[in-house]
Amino acid sequence: MLFINGLTKYSRGARKTLAAAVAVGIMGLAGPITVESAFAQSYPTEPIQVIIPFKPGGRTDTVARLIAEKIKEKGWLDQPMVVTNAPGGAGANAVNQMRRGDSEGYTIVHWHHQALIAMAMELGDFGLEDFKSIGYTGGGSPVWAVRADSEFNTIQELIDHLKANPRSLVEAVGIGSIPHFVGGMFANAAGFETRYVTANSGADRLRLLLGGNADVALFSASEFLAQGDTMKALVYFGRERLPNMPDVPTATELGFDVSWANPNWWLAPADTPDEVVAVLAAALEKAINDPDITAHFVANTLEPYWMSGPDAMEDATKTLAELKKVAATIN
Amino acid sequence: MLDAFAALFQWQNLILLVGGTALGIVVGAIPGLTASMLIALTLPLTFRMDPVGAVTLLIGQYVGGISGGQITAILLRMPGTPASIVTTFDGYPMAQSDRAERALALGITASVVGGIISWFFLAGMSPSLAKFALQFGPWEYFTLVLMALVMLAVLAQGSLAKGLLAAALGMAFALPGIDSSIGQARLTFGNSALLSGFGLLPVLIGAFAISQILRDASSPRTTKKVKVSRRKLPIYISDIKTHGPNMLRSSVIGTWIGLLPGIGANIAALVAYSTAKQLSKEPEKFGTGHEPGVVAGESANNSSIGGALIPLITMGIPGSVTEAILIGALVIHNLQPGPLLFQNSPEIAYGIIAAYLVANFIMLVMMWGAVRQIAKVIYIPKGMLLSVILVFCVVGSYAVNSNFSDVWVMIAFGAIGLVLEATKVPLGPFVIGFVLSPIAEEQLRASLMMSDGVWSDILDRPYALFFLFLALATVAWPMIMGRLAQKNKKSRS
Repeated sequence: MLFINGLTKYSRGARKTLAAAVAVGIMGLAGPITVESAFAQSYPTEPIQVIIPFKPGGRTDTVARLIAEKIKEKGWLDQPMVVTNAPGGAGANAVNQMRRGDSEGYTIVHWHHQALIAMAMELGDFGLEDFKSIGYTGGGSPVWAVRADSEFNTIQELIDHLKANPRSLVEAVGIGSIPHFVGGMFANAAGFETRYVTANSGADRLRLLLGGNADVALFSASEFLAQGDTMKALVYFGRERLPNMPDVPTATELGFDVSWANPNWWLAPADTPDEVVAVLAAALEKAINDPDITAHFVANTLEPYWMSGPDAMEDATKTLAELKKVAATIN
Repeated sequence: MLDAFAALFQWQNLILLVGGTALGIVVGAIPGLTASMLIALTLPLTFRMDPVGAVTLLIGQYVGGISGGQITAILLRMPGTPASIVTTFDGYPMAQSDRAERALALGITASVVGGIISWFFLAGMSPSLAKFALQFGPWEYFTLVLMALVMLAVLAQGSLAKGLLAAALGMAFALPGIDSSIGQARLTFGNSALLSGFGLLPVLIGAFAISQILRDASSPRTTKKVKVSRRKLPIYISDIKTHGPNMLRSSVIGTWIGLLPGIGANIAALVAYSTAKQLSKEPEKFGTGHEPGVVAGESANNSSIGGALIPLITMGIPGSVTEAILIGALVIHNLQPGPLLFQNSPEIAYGIIAAYLVANFIMLVMMWGAVRQIAKVIYIPKGMLLSVILVFCVVGSYAVNSNFSDVWVMIAFGAIGLVLEATKVPLGPFVIGFVLSPIAEEQLRASLMMSDGVWSDILDRPYALFFLFLALATVAWPMIMGRLAQKNKKSRS
């Protein structure tokens, strides 16, 4: 059976040589286990589709395209990675597309922790068990910011104000999105409450905050830095201070046990063979350590690092448990 | 600024701009394919270009795409892009009464005038306009959209009951999806394909293009062949007087609506159209092939691009999907749009402004030169033309989200459109209800969230009160006029 699988794979790959097919045949005689390794060595024989659950132009999309481009340029995989977008349905559209594809490593997803939020909110019909984690290629953390003319200069002033006057400030969030959950975790830890106004995107949050229709909002560090001196950052949710804004304290150093490092997470269907995942992981790890990619990450206030598939899955499982606690307080 | 124009006229950039605009027009004219799809497809190609070249190419596609939509809207009653729905209202009846070239000539002129007027706002007063637009919060968005809804409802043609029925149906179809105020699924019946609701593009293509294809296919001889004459393009000096004020007003409305992030070219065209109708001395002629209808829609949708570029380059706030992709193209080159863009990379900020103006002129020359050839599309045998368009409709609906359920949605709405037309329920209010009601709902709920449920907060918002007043006046005005007319009659008799 495995032998036949291997052969069909070859016939699908357009111009793989007869020699390779013969090699598989010989190994097929030797036994099924070697067939698998031969299969892994020759993977990929056709382009790999990378599904992005968002519209083009955002961070997840940009990072995927840059990494795919780099892998192609350096020839770290025999076939190109083709990035496609399947936005909508809180990621359900992308997951369904992944399910319709194969589980031999030719259909993978590049996502971030919005996936966990959709799971915590029980929005799509998918969970962690649907995926095999390939790994994190870096990630980024957000800041909480106010307008430059705001009366608050430190996060403590803002917390004191909200404790004295509960619900007196408006926070721009997309209900059931990362800003909502991060703000909620922070509010729970510090013991305050804000009012919300719906903002479905980073652009919406920027518009509402700068226009005076919201008092505080969460931004990615690069969105914040691009605004120059129109905003003040009060607290950063990374584990350590960001070199680009050395004066902004982290929540943890202020004594609140809240951090949010949103990774660039590469996922395959749960029954993808481990050998295939290893090939993909090796290429991605090389890409994230490439000087060009690292430079792009640093310039856009993202942290370049590699976290292996199993470690990433463990981290995600822990985060999901935290998010479920917050989700329970929302509903 | 002059440097930016000089950079634009380097041959590489000029080629990119001309090529981009041409591609945009073609893709924009094909029902089902939109400018944002084209731009998303082109994005990977821009990685290796220099940033000015990348932006130039994308702006050309953006302008071309919005302008090209009118061609099929006028000739076939199929809006090439959502922004030209309004153009079908009067453009198609004009084409049916042998005035296709006149409709196209007016549409193209209106597009260019709209583009140029909004360019002056973009080049001249971006920072202050962006600041003004930012003051608009949820209350203002809600009352603005409410005003547009009321204007369009009051002025709807034919039976009021059928108009209201159509609008209510449109609103009902806008309900399913994730309710953004509570983040929960609503009316999806456990179907994950419905989680993001019925998509704008599949619904529009279905209701307009597919239903039109079905109708044409079932009765091939009822639609008249459109005559294309050999005379010079029918545009006259006297048009300045007849259409000038309308173009100017519609362009200002378009620019202003474009300024507001999240409210796009299609809504700009709808508002300009209803305003033109409201102020017209002969509103009953709108929808029957009245020239000002085409002029209003086409000046507004083009000028909304210039408006939308204002918050993009001054604040880094994208107004639409197309602009979010434009930002993506900049981020890949390590440029983050925002207030610092003018300081850090002025060549990009001014490059966008310059490319926008030049793209409008390129569009004019191309469309002007090709209009007669374009109009000949009508002579292609229906069977061939319709099947090609059908293919594009399916491809386009699938391509928005790479999701096949969108194709089913498109087909279903094609059937719905056919039934509505057969029962004389107008499609206009249906689409308007579908497009506007989700924004109104979301913004009203956001307003109440922000005010902790206190309605009277609206009293502190002068702009919101102004829109509300206009909406009330729109409803009250015909009634008052009616009463007065009755009184006059009585006193005379």
